[in-house]
Amino acid sequence: MLLEVFLLLGTLLIYFFFSKKNEETLPFKDGWWGRGQKPETKEDSSVRPFKVETAEEELSDLFRRLDQARFTEPLENSCFHYGTNSVHLRKVVSYWKNQFNWKKQVEVLNKYPQFKTKIQGIDIHFVHVKPPHLPEGQAAKPLLMVHGWPGSFYEFYKIIPLLTDPASHGLGDEHIFEVICPSIPGYGFSEAPHKQDFNSVSAASVFYELMLRLGFNEFYTQGGDAGCVICTNLAQIAPSHVKGLHLNMVLVSKLGLPHLLSILLGRYFPGLFGFQDEDVRRMFPFLKKWLYKILSEFGYAHIQATKPDTVGCGLNDSPVGLAAYILEKFSSWTDMEFRNLEDGGLERKFSLDDLLTNIMIYWVSGCIVSSMRFYKENLQKGIGTQKHEKLTVQVPTGIAAFPNEILHIPQAWAKKKYTNIVSFHFMPRGGHFAALEEPELLAKDILQFVDKVEKDLQYV
Amino acid sequence: MWLESLPNAWPFDYSQKNAVLVPVAALGVGGMLLCWLRSGRKMKTIDMGDGWWGAGERPPKGKEDTSIRPFKIETSDQEIEDLHQRLDRFRFTPHVEGAAFHYGFNSSYLRKVVDYWRNQFDWRKQVEVLNKYPHFHTTIEGIDIHFIHVKPSYVPHGQAVRPLLMVHGWPGSFYEFYKIIPLLTEPAKHGLNEGDVVFEVICPSIPGYAFSEASHQKGLDSIATARIFHKLMNRLGFKEYYLQGGDWGSRITTNMAQMLPQSVKGLHLNLVFIMTQGLGKMIRTMLGAYVPWLVGFSREDVRRFYPFMEKNIYEVLRESGYLHIQATKPDTAGCGLNDSPVGLAAYIMEKFSTWTDKSFRNKDDGGLESKYSLDELLTNVMIYWVTSSIVSSMRYYKENFSKDPRIHDRVSVHVPTGIAAFPQEIVHVPRVWTKHVYKNIVTYTYMPRGGHFAAFEEPKLLAQDIMQFVRKVEQL
Repeated sequence: MLLEVFLLLGTLLIYFFFSKKNEETLPFKDGWWGRGQKPETKEDSSVRPFKVETAEEELSDLFRRLDQARFTEPLENSCFHYGTNSVHLRKVVSYWKNQFNWKKQVEVLNKYPQFKTKIQGIDIHFVHVKPPHLPEGQAAKPLLMVHGWPGSFYEFYKIIPLLTDPASHGLGDEHIFEVICPSIPGYGFSEAPHKQDFNSVSAASVFYELMLRLGFNEFYTQGGDAGCVICTNLAQIAPSHVKGLHLNMVLVSKLGLPHLLSILLGRYFPGLFGFQDEDVRRMFPFLKKWLYKILSEFGYAHIQATKPDTVGCGLNDSPVGLAAYILEKFSSWTDMEFRNLEDGGLERKFSLDDLLTNIMIYWVSGCIVSSMRFYKENLQKGIGTQKHEKLTVQVPTGIAAFPNEILHIPQAWAKKKYTNIVSFHFMPRGGHFAALEEPELLAKDILQFVDKVEKDLQYV
Repeated sequence: MWLESLPNAWPFDYSQKNAVLVPVAALGVGGMLLCWLRSGRKMKTIDMGDGWWGAGERPPKGKEDTSIRPFKIETSDQEIEDLHQRLDRFRFTPHVEGAAFHYGFNSSYLRKVVDYWRNQFDWRKQVEVLNKYPHFHTTIEGIDIHFIHVKPSYVPHGQAVRPLLMVHGWPGSFYEFYKIIPLLTEPAKHGLNEGDVVFEVICPSIPGYAFSEASHQKGLDSIATARIFHKLMNRLGFKEYYLQGGDWGSRITTNMAQMLPQSVKGLHLNLVFIMTQGLGKMIRTMLGAYVPWLVGFSREDVRRFYPFMEKNIYEVLRESGYLHIQATKPDTAGCGLNDSPVGLAAYIMEKFSTWTDKSFRNKDDGGLESKYSLDELLTNVMIYWVTSSIVSSMRYYKENFSKDPRIHDRVSVHVPTGIAAFPQEIVHVPRVWTKHVYKNIVTYTYMPRGGHFAAFEEPKLLAQDIMQFVRKVEQL
């Protein structure tokens, strides 16, 4: 066993010495994602207003499926340890049938202006909210916010008013944003790519084109989950256009000797590895907080990265199955302790209306399969193998580290990739779905980050 | 021999030689003892233990109902009507261009399957097919265990009929054995031999699969299953029997042989799990690519085992997503599948494609109908559907993987073992490595063709190998 450890260390040492920091820009990834051959004619680049709609038939079909759902009794005392508990799921389904009002929720969705525009062959859906009032002489700062899986543009509905109208929410008026929340192609109301190989760099390139088309030459970006990877790629593709990159989740895919050493010894010599007390609290014991967590929580990523069309198939046919699959994440990724609760702690941080609205977006658009394909397109060649994973980010970066995020990445590790971290804060509470769960905390962090970036720019 | 050189090496006299020898010997023995203790003592057998899987508390003293009740599988208009409605309202997602089966089950081909299922598949007829063998239920450890029991219709005077327990896996069922059963109960009729080796076959359903009741308590793993199946055979009046299994069946029958070797006349497997890792294995793997003879690999081993990374790491990563999610969140993974028959079919049939032949992933139709009929495949899916057993079948993965898998390798199997290694099995274990656990390998055959679902796909080949194995065991 000891010999194996030394062999491993030796290999990593060699790798570490021979790998170099890469500061090149990531090339823009052009593509054509529509059906069949790319036509000769120029693409229609109009931006068309869009409203979410529903019909009686859609609702009655949903209700029929909910009525005929076949549940399986959970094992005694299993809570959420085997996945979504079906006894609790029955209660959610009952609410869904009898109290949830989809027509009303559609009106809620439509309260922000939405649009569609064709980019690289597919229709891209986005929400675009301008500030209701701007003080004299001040311009709104464009902010692109990108969701992840199994979320949607709807996750931002609580935070948008805090950013477009901060003054009304006690957040000051120095920085006011106009917010653009697109749907990742294959999610919600954005068309799914018809071709293979649509990965995060493709999404970043499409969103880059979107921002240019909307007339923004410089903008901020914010993201978590898949949004964090896409926004990072965008900052790597077009660093001169991205004023600042704010993330509520960080991924590092290049782990080397220094990481290994800090895992083994970081608990005992935190200062040596640049760990703060809070880093140690969140990362150790390592096996429990990292390895076992990855093993126990990443089965979905493994199957989605290999057989998305299989796993998504039944979920596009059974709304209850879809709800179980998505709700499980809103439970454990908000707080891992929720697995010990019979109701998965779901309604402690979110309302059923919000949770079901997000699920309904996946249901009515039929996008669950294409949303899962994104995992395959990004992970099929393995983690850490793609070009963008080896490049660094020079754009000013702000990181909001929430305590219940799935995996905690310390600043010491993050700064190897994000070379210009302007702010890094340990948030006091909140999990993976930060914008939906703690909109005010996140908004405040974004505002202080932008403030820092703008002040730094003044001295340039 | 080195003892003689001692006087020359050191100016010691005889008594002082002992003074050196004794502590050295003690160290040597002590060291070996330490190694042996640390390596995890090889247990002689697996403890039988006991269990209760029924709902609520185990009833106090009181004999369990040990009756064996015949039953027939039934269906109804309502069941078929409900199925048809769900098939009619299935919502398809178009696949990306050129996907074949690389993203999972191809939705264009799935449309064809659903069309056949809706318009040509006759479930009533298939139920009659299922009922051609006698079915039974019996309660063991609080749950109803389902099994079929097929005896030869004619036994010449004086011929021994050997009891054979055959255990299925996931996502299969007792139905996988329907083609092989006649070859084993009436071999002469099927041109297999002169009828010297004849079996009566018992195929149970693993608890939580098909018509076996699912456990209501946590913890029903392969060891519990092994014990339950021993109790079943005992209840049927058998003291000694043969075992055959692949997939979970291989794990369960191996546990049975480890638990009660005196009851197992012979163990035949078409899949072997060896979990032991270690530096030794790593080195042997690396050497085996260049000097296979040095590490005991045969030419066929080399052909099936290398390139190592591709066949054992990448391939496993590519194909084990289902295992990962089922071993951690079975209730989530199975929820939608118990509600959408098409989703269930896609999930199950994807395995019948890839695990039969890995190259089938390159085909738009997954190569399914080149080896199986749609009737056969859908009958297996229907068994999961009408019994609503997909979730409990998936829980089996969590129950088994939440414990350290290496304990199975620490107990050796001494009963006569026969291994049929099929070329398209998901992972190939070199013959010499199987000896780490199976100490008494009587036959080891590199089968010429076939994949994971051996009994279903190549019943004749498998039957011949079983008979050849049993013949050898009985001559010993």
